[in-house]
Amino acid sequence: MKPVDLTTQLGGITLRNPIITSSGTYGFGEEYLAYCPLEALGGITLKGITPLPRLGNPVPRLAETPAGLLNAVGLENPGLEEFLKSYLPKLSKIPTAVIANISGFSLDDYACMARALKKGSGITALEVNISCPNVKHGGMHFGTDPKSAQEVMAAVKAETDLPIIAKLSPNVTDIVEMARAVQRGGADVLSLINTLLGMSIDLNSQRPVLANTFGGLSGPAIRPVAVRMVWQVAEAVDLPIIGMGGITSWQDAVEFLLAGATAVSIGTGNFYNPQAPLDVVEGIRNYCEQRGYSSVQELVGLAHRG
Amino acid sequence: MLSQGLVVSHEQLGNTDQKLRRLVLQGPAAQTAQAGQFVTVQVQDSARASFDPLLRRPISIAEISPERDEITLLYRIKGRGTEILAQARCGDSLSIMGPLGNGFSLPEEGELWLVAGGIGIFPLFALAQRALSQGLKVRLFWGGECKSFMESAGLASWKELEIKTSLSTLDGSLGEKGLVTEPLHSALTQIKPADSKPEANEVRVSVAACGPKGMMQSVTELCQRFDVPIEVSLEERMGCAVGACLGCVCTLKDKAGRLIHKKVCLDGPIFRGEEVVWNETC
Repeated sequence: MKPVDLTTQLGGITLRNPIITSSGTYGFGEEYLAYCPLEALGGITLKGITPLPRLGNPVPRLAETPAGLLNAVGLENPGLEEFLKSYLPKLSKIPTAVIANISGFSLDDYACMARALKKGSGITALEVNISCPNVKHGGMHFGTDPKSAQEVMAAVKAETDLPIIAKLSPNVTDIVEMARAVQRGGADVLSLINTLLGMSIDLNSQRPVLANTFGGLSGPAIRPVAVRMVWQVAEAVDLPIIGMGGITSWQDAVEFLLAGATAVSIGTGNFYNPQAPLDVVEGIRNYCEQRGYSSVQELVGLAHRG
Repeated sequence: MLSQGLVVSHEQLGNTDQKLRRLVLQGPAAQTAQAGQFVTVQVQDSARASFDPLLRRPISIAEISPERDEITLLYRIKGRGTEILAQARCGDSLSIMGPLGNGFSLPEEGELWLVAGGIGIFPLFALAQRALSQGLKVRLFWGGECKSFMESAGLASWKELEIKTSLSTLDGSLGEKGLVTEPLHSALTQIKPADSKPEANEVRVSVAACGPKGMMQSVTELCQRFDVPIEVSLEERMGCAVGACLGCVCTLKDKAGRLIHKKVCLDGPIFRGEEVVWNETC
């Protein structure tokens, strides 16, 4: 029997397999090296960067909830200049696709970062974060208003020759409307979902657990919401989707592929099991073998068939 | 490193009401572990995957025995995670990440003074053993709530080390009544009278502290007053434990006096006392 073909086409780039790691959970590619060889992955998505350095929110930044994790890191990052100087040179040596994640507070912010990140810079694709829930007036404003979302994508598209990925917020009434808007703006790929806005209150102090009061919920608790949104967008929009939200196992990943995701991304699942991406790759390969699929791409959207 | 730790011993420490446990794990983590480092333990109530709790529990390493491939973790049952962990039985296998973090540094000569508040004593035991094996003189200052706590939290093991020890309890049921900073202050005064100039024959003391934040702040201030180097072990809610998620940052002051963030899991948990910013965040 021929080995299963795991290669994945995503907005003009070819990934070794459909397994990516999610922005904000995987640092800048070095943190998990002792646990997961990067050449085993389809790609990694870097911690989100902004034009200027940010210290982020005060602690506590994390609150654990049943099968979930609330975070309010607040986009702590070294800023574009430091990223270009200290991080980018190392990235071209990483043996997998490297997706940079950019956030901003204005169209100019997004445009200036897109200008600095082009083909040949060591970056494979640009993920545009229009959905960070933890920063006041931050990304999420762009991610909940279709017109703003479209404008951001158009501003980025005009400045870079890299494929652009729009990361969508689930904190909207109609995810399909947002997907259509970023498609009009020029997005090549969609990634969904970002975290769901939530909060947790401490019964001893009778105060919110997070210093930021609200945080983004991730982990297995949000998976059914994410699968539903991937399904809805896959039905309506003809763009490849990176599905994410609560993936910890190959079964979870296959569910997203069947719902219509072309690739999947693992975020909080890495905290639970730092070798989850390796297990997912192997599990998908076995699933395809056992079911007689020659390529993983045959699974994409299968659950939609009449 | 991700490895399996075989539970070779898991027992209650001292009195039931103290809710303390001693867990000995056999596995490769013992080969490289340093005093002050920690591991994260996946807590599961059965062999089947459970996502509540989702995160691994960071626990400091209290004893390191590379020749037996064993590390000892001491912990207090405090919430859902440690309640489930307490169910682990001999022969069970636990998923372990680590050893993680940087560990305490050992002075090359002189005396190492350990200052502990409450269960902050736990990671200092490995440090004491290590320092004694290297021929350093070690002294302990340990403050806790009451005699029952101190005896439960391993006082007998410390006595076996035969080091000079100053105990204090809040209720006065053991040692001096009051805070651990008081005997530390007297001891510092004895080695360095306030108005004296440093002399060649002065005892060179380094301090390692672990305990509640307020206590470590006071100990740091004392040490700075007496010009004694101090390392503290910080704690913060952790996500990934490898420096990727930025959940557990602490605020430090850099050389230029600017406030910066460091990751407790990766850059710490041990920091020089004077670089820690205790009352401000940025």
